Amino acid sequence: MPMKNMLIMTVLAGALVAPTAAFSATVTNRDGSAHTLVVSEGGSQVEVSIGAGETIEICPQGCFVTMPNGDREVLTGPETLEIEGGRGKIL
Amino acid sequence: MKLPSLFSRLIAMLALLVAMMSFAPAVFAQNGAALAQSGQTVSASPAVGPGVVAEQRDKLDRYGATADQYQTQMRANAHNDSALVDVRGGLEELSRDLIASGVAFRPRLNTINTRLDEIGPPRGEDEPPEPPALTAERQTLIDEKAEINALIGRAESLSLRVNGMIEEINQTRRDLFTNTLSRRYDISSALNGEVLGDLAAETRRLSAAVSSWMRFVLNFKLQAVLLATFYALVAAGILMIGGRRLFGNLFDADPAIENPSYLSRLSVAFWSTLLPSAALGVFLAGTYFFYNYYGVLRYDIAQLMVTLFNVIAIVFFVYRLARAVFAPRLPNWRLLPMQTGAARALFWVSLLAAIVTGADFFASKINEVMQSPLSLTVAKSLLATVIVGLLVIVFGLVRPYVNEDGTSRGWNSYFKALILLLGAGTILAAFLGYIGLARFISQQVVITGAILSTMYIGYLSAGAISEIGGFMNTSFGRRLDRKYHFDETTEDQIGLLLSVVINVLVLAVGIPLILLQWGFQWGDIRLWTYNIANEIRIGSISISLIGILTGFLLFLLGYLGTRGFQRWLDGKVMARGKVDAGVRNSIKTAVGYAGIALAALVGISAAGIDLSNLALVAGALSLGIGFGLQNIVNNFVSGLILLAERPFKVGDWIVAGGISGTVKKISVRATEIETFQRQSVILPNSELINAAVGNWTHRNRLGRVDIAVGVAYQSDPRQVQQILLEIIRAQPQAMKNPEPMVVFIGFGASSLDFEVRAFLSDVTTQVGFMNEVRFQIFERFREEGIEIPFPQQDVYIKEMPKVAVEQALPPAPAEAAKPAKRSTPQVRRKAAPE
Repeated sequence: MPMKNMLIMTVLAGALVAPTAAFSATVTNRDGSAHTLVVSEGGSQVEVSIGAGETIEICPQGCFVTMPNGDREVLTGPETLEIEGGRGKIL
Repeated sequence: MKLPSLFSRLIAMLALLVAMMSFAPAVFAQNGAALAQSGQTVSASPAVGPGVVAEQRDKLDRYGATADQYQTQMRANAHNDSALVDVRGGLEELSRDLIASGVAFRPRLNTINTRLDEIGPPRGEDEPPEPPALTAERQTLIDEKAEINALIGRAESLSLRVNGMIEEINQTRRDLFTNTLSRRYDISSALNGEVLGDLAAETRRLSAAVSSWMRFVLNFKLQAVLLATFYALVAAGILMIGGRRLFGNLFDADPAIENPSYLSRLSVAFWSTLLPSAALGVFLAGTYFFYNYYGVLRYDIAQLMVTLFNVIAIVFFVYRLARAVFAPRLPNWRLLPMQTGAARALFWVSLLAAIVTGADFFASKINEVMQSPLSLTVAKSLLATVIVGLLVIVFGLVRPYVNEDGTSRGWNSYFKALILLLGAGTILAAFLGYIGLARFISQQVVITGAILSTMYIGYLSAGAISEIGGFMNTSFGRRLDRKYHFDETTEDQIGLLLSVVINVLVLAVGIPLILLQWGFQWGDIRLWTYNIANEIRIGSISISLIGILTGFLLFLLGYLGTRGFQRWLDGKVMARGKVDAGVRNSIKTAVGYAGIALAALVGISAAGIDLSNLALVAGALSLGIGFGLQNIVNNFVSGLILLAERPFKVGDWIVAGGISGTVKKISVRATEIETFQRQSVILPNSELINAAVGNWTHRNRLGRVDIAVGVAYQSDPRQVQQILLEIIRAQPQAMKNPEPMVVFIGFGASSLDFEVRAFLSDVTTQVGFMNEVRFQIFERFREEGIEIPFPQQDVYIKEMPKVAVEQALPPAPAEAAKPAKRSTPQVRRKAAPE
């Protein structure tokens, strides 16, 4: 009978441990020059530089991003963002 | 979409611990609500039109006001931990709302950007002027975009502020915790006569508050109270009855069983602790919820009730746990081999400690709600902590075990030292005035102790399952065995796996609970777990445990899927399609390798290892690997060629590299051949490709057998040939076409040599065939009087001079042969005896 307990415990633990959607936003720079993004996540604001053609991952929990051309965007996590001509585009 | 996961988490939390009963669902409900809300804001935001700007501006104004409120609350409650937790929860929700509000602009921003692209940049001087409407539209759009950007900027700075406040609260709470522990009270004020007066006054206030509430309830809310209690009872009853039905006999300890197995004792301990505690927890939570719902509760009474219910739940849990572990009435069911007297003492000590701690906790809440003088709080906590300290010392001094000679034996010395230290520390801290520290220790002794002992039970049951035969002895193991007929090793492995799973579970459930007890927040723990699971950074490399686990699981899944596909293809499709066995084998093997390679690729990618990086490394190393693994690669490629070209298949009788035998298995590196002596020979594939391989059964199993026969020179060769032909033609196994034949192949040293040649449809049956034919030839030759000669040696002894013999030897007849042996005998080969 303890097997049953184990099974139930396993199920419980599975439900507990089950990963909460774990994504971060992917940003790709399609331009020939490096750009700087201003990223506010949590209580801190940082500048993230992204080289030409580079792809980086930012903010797993949602953040505010200021694009090179001054546009602002809000990311919640799983988006893919492309920067082209200094402009951000969410795919 | 969120429902199942929310539901499963609720269930998980239910099982976690009754202590968390009131707390956990609240958190989850909060999170869930927030998630649902943010989801709505994103999907249901109607405004692709400009309305969104106004809508979100209003929202942002509201959020700003809320943030201000929270800030005021935070400053006002800088010394109240639970209020700070509430504020923090609100702030976190606000932060999520702000993100959602920013996201709400996205569709409108996209529209604006697309339209601006369509309109294009303003035309230059030398171009024809554009229509004024277009210029106006561009300007409107640009203005709107600027406004949106400004609004998002506002949301951003608000979000930064809110998150800053969250961090500040965390810091305040940490300081608060440290202060509670290190603050020193003057206990002399608590020990004078005024305290008694304060106590009487507070009792009067409390009874006045409670009785006024009771009067209110009896007069106005009696029905609601009865209904609420009934509902809560029903909920608890369902859990209890359902649990009993589900877990049936493993619930109660049966005193009739003489010697219950360790596993059944553990499971009874576990379930008889967990289920009633959970049922009680549901009852208490339900009661509170419905009272609240019907508006029965007043603010002060609600606070007291929550605390009281928590205390009852924890005390009850400790009671059930202590009863299960020490089993004062049922010595057979005790988890540790203790004396009955000691077990009873330990049971009462644990229960008393829980009751006293609970009472102290509840009394503190009363003090807080009734705003009683500090001296009373100090006096009460002093009393409670000293009692708990004494109980802990008693616990440590009990001698529960029995030696073989009948004397009693105490705890393990380290354990005893720890327990005594804790007890003495509590008392000392209390008397020195560090009441906060003393309370903290005594509460942790009870609650953390309960959690740790539950974890320990789990750990022990994992050990019991992993023992040899442990799993087989469980009824589930037996049932599995009846159904699938596992062999012992498999069962053992399952048991081992289970024990690992249980251990992981014990840690995964127990450690967060203990951390929660020590003042960490559920959100923090989740964040840590999330970070640990998703990103462990070592230098510039980041490892994701979840990723690796997912990769591994995917690989396993792919592997099993490949196996299943292989079996299906082989058994259902190709067997039905009458595909040749060799082709079947080749396809099966190729599919297997392809599937595993695919699964490995998928697994590696899922584990987050970038395959392009891998390719770079592979490229750099391939030269070195190529040299180093030349042989392996050679064999591997040879194996692929073997599978494609199929010079032989499984079951063929081949001769290769001096080995003759049946092919058992063609793997990618080597081929297994079984000789007729049942010796397995592993032959590297390259040898099978580079050297000549003889295959007796390549296209068909047809083959010729030759039987050599020699007859004496006196025989008539024609008659012999005739007889042999008759014999071979009479064999049913010998094929008629090609015809069997008898060849006179030579004049041997002592015989005329013939060879009987016959073709068999299955060359692998040749041994039996040749055996039978030889018997018949021999019998027939004997009848016909034809002799089969064999080499003979005749020994001639030369006559020696008699004198010499007599001189050399004593006259013994037995010795007469000796000189003859010394001389060289004349040997003559003869074809036949005279």
